[in-house]
Amino acid sequence: MSVYDKIFKPKVYTLPNGNSVEKKASRAPVYFIFIILMSALSVKITGFDMKVLTQRIGQFFVIVGEMFPPNADFMGKVWGPLFDTIKMSLLGSVVGALLSVPFAMLASTNVCPNKVIVSIVRVMFSLIRTLPTLVTALVATLVFGLGTLAGTFAIAVFSFAYIGKLTYEEIETVDMGAFEAMEAMGATKARAFISAIVPQVLPFFLSNCLFNFEGNVRYAAVLGYVGAGGIGLILNEKISWREYSSVGMMLIALFVAVFVIESISRMLRKKLV
Amino acid sequence: MIKFEDVGKKYPNGFEGLKHIDLTIEQGEFVAIIGLSGAGKSTLIRTINRMHDVTSGKLTVDGVDVMSLSGKQLRRFRRKIGMIFQSFNLITRTTVINNVLTSFVPDMPWFRALFGIYTREEKMKALECLDKVGILRKAFVRADQLSGGQQQRVALARTLAQNPQIILADEPVAALDPVTAKQVMDDFKRINEEMNISILINIHHVDLALKYATRVVGIREGKIVYDGPAENVDKDVLATIYNGKVDDEGNVLDANDHNEMR
Amino acid sequence: MNNRILEAYEKRPKDWMYNLAIGIIFVGLMVWSGSAVETAGTTQDGGQIALNVLLGIFQPDLSFLFDFTTQGVPYLMLETICIAFLGTIVGAILSIPLAFISASNLTPKPIAFAGRMIIMAVRTVPAFVYGLMFIRVTGPGAFAGLLTMGVCSVGMISKMYIEAIEDIDTHVIEALDASGFNMWQKIRFGILPQLLPNFASTAIYRFDINMRDATILGMVGAGGFGAPLIFAMNAYRWNEAGAILAGLIILILIIEYISTRIRLKLTRG
Repeated sequence: MSVYDKIFKPKVYTLPNGNSVEKKASRAPVYFIFIILMSALSVKITGFDMKVLTQRIGQFFVIVGEMFPPNADFMGKVWGPLFDTIKMSLLGSVVGALLSVPFAMLASTNVCPNKVIVSIVRVMFSLIRTLPTLVTALVATLVFGLGTLAGTFAIAVFSFAYIGKLTYEEIETVDMGAFEAMEAMGATKARAFISAIVPQVLPFFLSNCLFNFEGNVRYAAVLGYVGAGGIGLILNEKISWREYSSVGMMLIALFVAVFVIESISRMLRKKLV
Repeated sequence: MIKFEDVGKKYPNGFEGLKHIDLTIEQGEFVAIIGLSGAGKSTLIRTINRMHDVTSGKLTVDGVDVMSLSGKQLRRFRRKIGMIFQSFNLITRTTVINNVLTSFVPDMPWFRALFGIYTREEKMKALECLDKVGILRKAFVRADQLSGGQQQRVALARTLAQNPQIILADEPVAALDPVTAKQVMDDFKRINEEMNISILINIHHVDLALKYATRVVGIREGKIVYDGPAENVDKDVLATIYNGKVDDEGNVLDANDHNEMR
Repeated sequence: MNNRILEAYEKRPKDWMYNLAIGIIFVGLMVWSGSAVETAGTTQDGGQIALNVLLGIFQPDLSFLFDFTTQGVPYLMLETICIAFLGTIVGAILSIPLAFISASNLTPKPIAFAGRMIIMAVRTVPAFVYGLMFIRVTGPGAFAGLLTMGVCSVGMISKMYIEAIEDIDTHVIEALDASGFNMWQKIRFGILPQLLPNFASTAIYRFDINMRDATILGMVGAGGFGAPLIFAMNAYRWNEAGAILAGLIILILIIEYISTRIRLKLTRG
């Protein structure tokens, strides 16, 4: 019986025939009050104002309007940075995913018997995941200098932690029967892992990698903002110069690129799983 | 009283689900409907509360022509007919009592329905219904945490709460193991005897049908081929109903498909 | 050797060409993407900077970390939580109509497709573009930040809502139909109870993500810890940056722990 049930006593229903049943006090009012209080606090701190929003939201669409028609001549200058963005996320995703594999194995209780190592690797994964990618990218620009290398590094770090976590969860849910059978036939642990566990995990691993890559293409567009290369750099430049029709062109190019990549990736993932 | 007079049912694709059905069921009967998969058992049961339409003939329940109803009248008509499904059809993400309480919703004012506010009497009524099927203790547990048999009893309690005169049960025990199936059938029997509710049940287990029902209706290819007391069902009758697919001990050989698609 | 066995052997699937093609494509893609890696070079020793960053995180500026005025880390974190909280609510609400028109089991195919296209378009625009656009609307500050966060959340939230809607168990509706429910009663008692836990779970998950993504908002001047973090880093004040990052990491770990527990409870009961 939890503390909450001691403070708010359960309600007892007694039927005419003498049978009775207890209903624990509902938690819903607590959640409700919490959400209301939190919203009130947030409105106060962020200065949320419905009046400003309704009066001035038009400004948002004025900018959207200026993006159309997009400046088609500008497209020539978009290709390079757009492909840089895609290359950056592709390389970063692959490097990060490959590096994560040995660590993911160390983080799975059914592969690594040492509990200390398992928890150390897991803490490492979740610490790296808390690090905002933009901060990694910023640090990387300071370490490696401005350019796509910094962006690639930041994406690799994120992919490492993201894929690593998904992979060890996948390895843990694997059916160990085949692994045992291999060991019983006299295979070493490494052999048994390769023949019995890899085929089970591989499709999910590849599918996760593709999904991660999709997301990274979109995210890589942001990284240019801190100087880590790609389309974000010129996007930021054109916005500050208020050349919205060029911005519109870039956004359309990005949309098409993301659409194509997502379609291919979804098709491949459907085949895999 | 449920009365079928030369009822037929033709599906849009031309398949005849029911052919010339004549059947009268008095209040308080316990009728088991048996037959092969696809013979029309489900269709027969579902025409009674008009989940399916009939295309010819006349079907009346307590003198009301079912096909004449629509909209609000139809919904009010359905209130007095309870229905039990093979897959329980509970709202799994909410508590058992809330599932039972939903049966009061159609009669509630809209604002109470909107916020899901139930009166004390309604809650007591719901609890009594749960008590009748023996799962009062589970009243405030989430429905998806119960076993299949318990979930089917919740469904039964939900149906009881709407005070039905008739309960239609479409393969209620097909998804349950033999022991729980027997318990659920006992519940049906008790409800039938104590509350004088007519029960029409579609069932694949011939042994259960013969043991619990007072009357057995056998259907084959959309036609009634047997209608009589359970005691008179013998090997020959079963052979007729099941197209001869019965072994020497009277066991039906069609055990592969419990799921009528129609 | 038996002929039948030989025959079967001859019929073996020959997929080495397929595998080779995939291998060539993969290597080709890697070489192609490797060509883009370039850097302008650093003025300082990169290794020294990396070391400084790490040292900064492990030796955070404690007076800054425990400064409870509006200038300190706790207040920045509170402001970020508030932005993420309201932003998530805004996003969760905006997603509801979008998800319903895009769910292929409810709406006709062309409308559902159009809905998905809108969602994708909304999702493609990078966060800082929205940030800069909303600053035109509300002026710089947390208000612009929460609007940005709301719009950025729409993509993922509506995608997960759609999945929830398409997964609805329609058997329940059948049962309600049989006991005489009308249309809106069926929605209220048959559909909403199935969707709400999913929707709540999605929103909590997104709140978690929004906390991490809040950095970008600060950079464009839309509130939260981002701006002070960038200033500190650009000025090489590593202890200060470390204090913010330490605060952020602790906060995110706590929020992740709580949100995972709540979500587990929502799905399992």
